[in-house]
Amino acid sequence: MKLTYALTAIGLAVATPLSALAATIDAVMYKNPQCSCCEAYAAYLEQNGFKVDIKPVNNLSQISSDAGVPADLEGCHTIMVDGYVVDGLVPVEIVKKLLTERPAITGITLAGMPAGAPGMGGEKSETWTIYAFTKDGKAPTVYATE
Amino acid sequence: MNSRSIRFLTRRGFLAVATAGAAMSLPLRPARAYAVDERTLRAAPAQAQFAGPDRAPTPTWAYNGTVPGPVLRLRQGQPVRITVENSLAEDTTVHWHGIRLPNAMDGVPGLTQPPIAPGASFTYEFTPPDAGTFWYHPHADSLVQLGRGLAGALIVEEAEPVAFDRDLIWLLQDWRLAAAGRIAGGFGSAMDASMSGRVGNLVTVNGTAQAVQSVKAGERVRLRLANAALARMMALRFEGHRPVIMAIDGQPCEPHEPEDGRLVLAPAMRVDIVLDMQGKPGGRYRVIDDFYDSLAYTLATLAYDKAAPLRAHPPDAPAALPRNPLPEPDLANAVRQEIVLQGGMMGGGKLAGVGGMMGMSGMMGMNMKGMTMPGMNGTPAWAINGVSMTGDGHAGMAPQFTLRRGVTCHLTIRNETAWWHPMHVHGFSLSVLSRNGSPLPHRQWQDTVLLAPKDTVECAFVADNPGDWMLHCHVADHQMAGLMTVFRVT
Repeated sequence: MKLTYALTAIGLAVATPLSALAATIDAVMYKNPQCSCCEAYAAYLEQNGFKVDIKPVNNLSQISSDAGVPADLEGCHTIMVDGYVVDGLVPVEIVKKLLTERPAITGITLAGMPAGAPGMGGEKSETWTIYAFTKDGKAPTVYATE
Repeated sequence: MNSRSIRFLTRRGFLAVATAGAAMSLPLRPARAYAVDERTLRAAPAQAQFAGPDRAPTPTWAYNGTVPGPVLRLRQGQPVRITVENSLAEDTTVHWHGIRLPNAMDGVPGLTQPPIAPGASFTYEFTPPDAGTFWYHPHADSLVQLGRGLAGALIVEEAEPVAFDRDLIWLLQDWRLAAAGRIAGGFGSAMDASMSGRVGNLVTVNGTAQAVQSVKAGERVRLRLANAALARMMALRFEGHRPVIMAIDGQPCEPHEPEDGRLVLAPAMRVDIVLDMQGKPGGRYRVIDDFYDSLAYTLATLAYDKAAPLRAHPPDAPAALPRNPLPEPDLANAVRQEIVLQGGMMGGGKLAGVGGMMGMSGMMGMNMKGMTMPGMNGTPAWAINGVSMTGDGHAGMAPQFTLRRGVTCHLTIRNETAWWHPMHVHGFSLSVLSRNGSPLPHRQWQDTVLLAPKDTVECAFVADNPGDWMLHCHVADHQMAGLMTVFRVT
């Protein structure tokens, strides 16, 4: 699997102009070692200008909780990117919006594994709500819908 | 078999009845000539020092103050009475995992006994028919009680002793520790429940991290391995050694080396191996667990003393252990039953509509803030044959199927999920016939049968023990979140 991503990355390097390469955004993904959807999501991010360092962990829910993700809004993996936490299968436009707007929050999350989300199979069947959360005990707020 | 009549009595009450009975009928009871083995286990908060005295202690729950609990060594065919005292602040029970015993002694709250309330006690009485490696653990609030340390080894010694140079037990526990060595909260997380369970970040051997096992060159050791983790699968490799599997889940099999020398041990499974210590005097050899890709670690180290080898040549190949008195299935006249495991993450929406308990479309798309996520705090994330039984056991669990006493049940277990499941059957050992259509070569009997994603396993057992028996995944989060069922033997 890792080889596939390495090859994808090389492919991108060859096909992408230098200016875009310079803008590659480094991200670290913590994921369950046995979950394959997360790897597909990482590949999706890499096709969209990110460089994802995949770290399989057995205590994902602990990492996600320590990162401030509310227990009832856990996504299937946790990503640290440019000072923010991005949890779950958030569409890349919304991740980029977060990194451009830079709001005063800890991160955003798309709970669970909705059908049709990037990395998942299936058809999108409902509106997704991406929540913003902080570590100060305040209730999560809606950051975006898709 | 023991009487069911003692099920609601405390130890004191039981002894009073027993004494009265003995007084009245002493001349008719020659069986009282031998002493009944009496033991006590007290479940209470305790402290453990996993990484030596220099590190902060970890608050745990423990039997008799130690993590793991004391090794209970019983004798095959000899009755035992074990009184369990509950000094926890919540209900508990004890399940004698793998022991074939009367239903009322099986330790499942609501199903086989009322739970033991805080401050109360319950006396379990049984006569272990099978020699081998078993273990004991709570069957109430299992995820938390097992995850905080309540577990111990139960060894039933052969009626006729079997000789090895040494007999060792490694009870393996997996802890999810947070800062300052405390056990992390967050039991019942939705992601743990619907993925691989609450796997921890520290594994101990008999309560010690980075355990060092001293050994002598040339000795032949019977090493009993018991995986008492909540969820962690293990695949052990013994550097420089060739373990031979002698028994699985307490039941002797034909001695054989594991495939690729890698010993797979799922939660609740036990494997007895023979290790011929053929390393160099003074040498050190690692025991590595590499089950999870890129997360291998050293579980323990075999440390040889410097003495000359105990014997010049390794002994002959080990002889099989004596078989236990298991009833042989009559496959030609068997009743067929099938158990299908469903749900979990990446389950392809298989859980849609499960049990009618909630809209399980949530499994595939849950952005409904305010609704409980499937799997969270024991809400269903899994099902067996379309029904999610959650929790640890409770009254009114309708049997999935009923077997007439004495019939052979040919049981097919089919894993439709994307995850691993060690399926535990209470009260019986199963003869494992085949995996994905291939016969199993080593005459294996198991009470905890591991299924890889999409595996199908065929097994058989004689329904010789009446009662309502539980069958569940021993990844504690999976059990709590619906991967559990009950069958009845009339």
